[in-house]
Amino acid sequence: MINAFLLAAEGGAPATESHNPIIPELNELVYSLIAFAVLALLFKKFAFQPVKKGMESRTERIRKDLDQAEKAKSEAESILEDYKKQLANAKSESNRIIDEARQQAEKVKADITESANREVAEQKAKATEDIEAARNAAIASLQTSVASMAIELAEKVVEKNLDRETNQRLIDSFIDKVGS
Amino acid sequence: MSILAQAAEPLTSPEFKTAMSAVGAGFAYGLAAIGPGVGIGIVVGNAVQAMARQPEAAGLVRTTMFLGIAFTEALALIGFVVFILLKFA
Amino acid sequence: MNLAIVFPPIDEILRWKPLFGDGTFAFNKIALIAFFAAFATLALFYVAGRKPKLVPTGVQNLAEMSIDFIQDGIIAQTMGTKKDDLKWTSYLTMLFFFLLFCNVTGILPFIQMPATARMGIPAMLAIVSWLLFIFMGFKKNGIGYIKAAVVPPQVPFALLFLVVPIEIISTFLVRPFSLAVRLFANMLAGHLLLVTFSVMGHGLLFAETAKVFFIPMTILPLILFVAITLFEVLVVFLQAYIFTILTAVYLGGAMHPEH
Repeated sequence: MINAFLLAAEGGAPATESHNPIIPELNELVYSLIAFAVLALLFKKFAFQPVKKGMESRTERIRKDLDQAEKAKSEAESILEDYKKQLANAKSESNRIIDEARQQAEKVKADITESANREVAEQKAKATEDIEAARNAAIASLQTSVASMAIELAEKVVEKNLDRETNQRLIDSFIDKVGS
Repeated sequence: MSILAQAAEPLTSPEFKTAMSAVGAGFAYGLAAIGPGVGIGIVVGNAVQAMARQPEAAGLVRTTMFLGIAFTEALALIGFVVFILLKFA
Repeated sequence: MNLAIVFPPIDEILRWKPLFGDGTFAFNKIALIAFFAAFATLALFYVAGRKPKLVPTGVQNLAEMSIDFIQDGIIAQTMGTKKDDLKWTSYLTMLFFFLLFCNVTGILPFIQMPATARMGIPAMLAIVSWLLFIFMGFKKNGIGYIKAAVVPPQVPFALLFLVVPIEIISTFLVRPFSLAVRLFANMLAGHLLLVTFSVMGHGLLFAETAKVFFIPMTILPLILFVAITLFEVLVVFLQAYIFTILTAVYLGGAMHPEH
């Protein structure tokens, strides 16, 4: 009785035959395969490659930018190096020029000093000579004038006291005394 | 004779089959879940330990952990499939 | 106190009536979801790659992140980083997103049917992966692939009689089966849980007796329903990931059997 009731109830259950859920159904297999195949055909070319290309181009660009920056940096460094070298050159050059000028000045100074010294010495010598000459001349003239004056003076003093010869002898001895 | 027939009949009756399928299905999944449950616990526990010891290798450990989980879990899932086969097929 | 909670027969939950066609070409909801997943995968990457910007935003960011993830997180760790290995990025990305979209329909409101909870898509993908790794094995290693695949190195000769049949079964029979069943059973289990709690909630909400008592109790299965949906979000990603990484592992093993 119960059996019959159950059978009747089962008869009212879904009309399709019971299907084991872990056996794939053919229609789902077919359509999913079609969908996946279409996806596999289109995906790489139209969807994956553009994205990938975008990523790669970005990588490339960043690398290029970095390279450029590196290059610019090294360039700037070499320029700086250049300038530094030039600056050092200029400095040594100026030092050299100053040194040279100083040496030259030193030399000129020495020259001038020497020539001045020489001139001074010359003039001194000349002056000495002149003085000597003048003195000699003065002495000579003095001798003569002293002699004549002495004679005159003596003549006046002694006036005929003495003869000519004694006079002359006296005078000469006087002059000798004065002259020496 | 008739008593024997009456005794034999329920063993082949559809409701008896359904009932035994349900019992079997319950056992199938319950028993199948024990081992993988312990196994996944061990896998993840050791993976966490490994990651704590060597945080720099965390990526590799995580990948390997998921692989281990996937293989361990397969047994539980086969139990689940058996459950479905018994209960619904 | 009679509650009208009847768990529907499994065919009623899973076997969808054809939208059109019948027999082998019956086009049902599962087929529709498969096409939707294929279209969504294609559209996602097409939109992402249409106008690539230097600073990626939105969809482009998502697509690039997932490509990086497949490349660094899956291929580099299971296959290698040679050019041959990286060529699979496209296929594995596609596989991941196709699976993701097939899975995610299980938790999208008003669709709520994971296409992978039917054996069709998992079986198809598992067979494709199986064919691919066998093909790549023979392509890379010639006929020697058979030996590399079934004879593990450094095994004593006497043990080979035991090991070789096990390896044959595990490599060429169990792999595709476990690949398909893992995905199918995970998604089906999640779906059945959701069905269970929604049936329960429906039974409580439309109870015919003791309404004052039953109707407020609807909140309990609802909470569990939401919680399981959140858990399913995790499962959706994890199963797509595991299927992809296992495919990568099998491909890597076939291409470089020496590892």
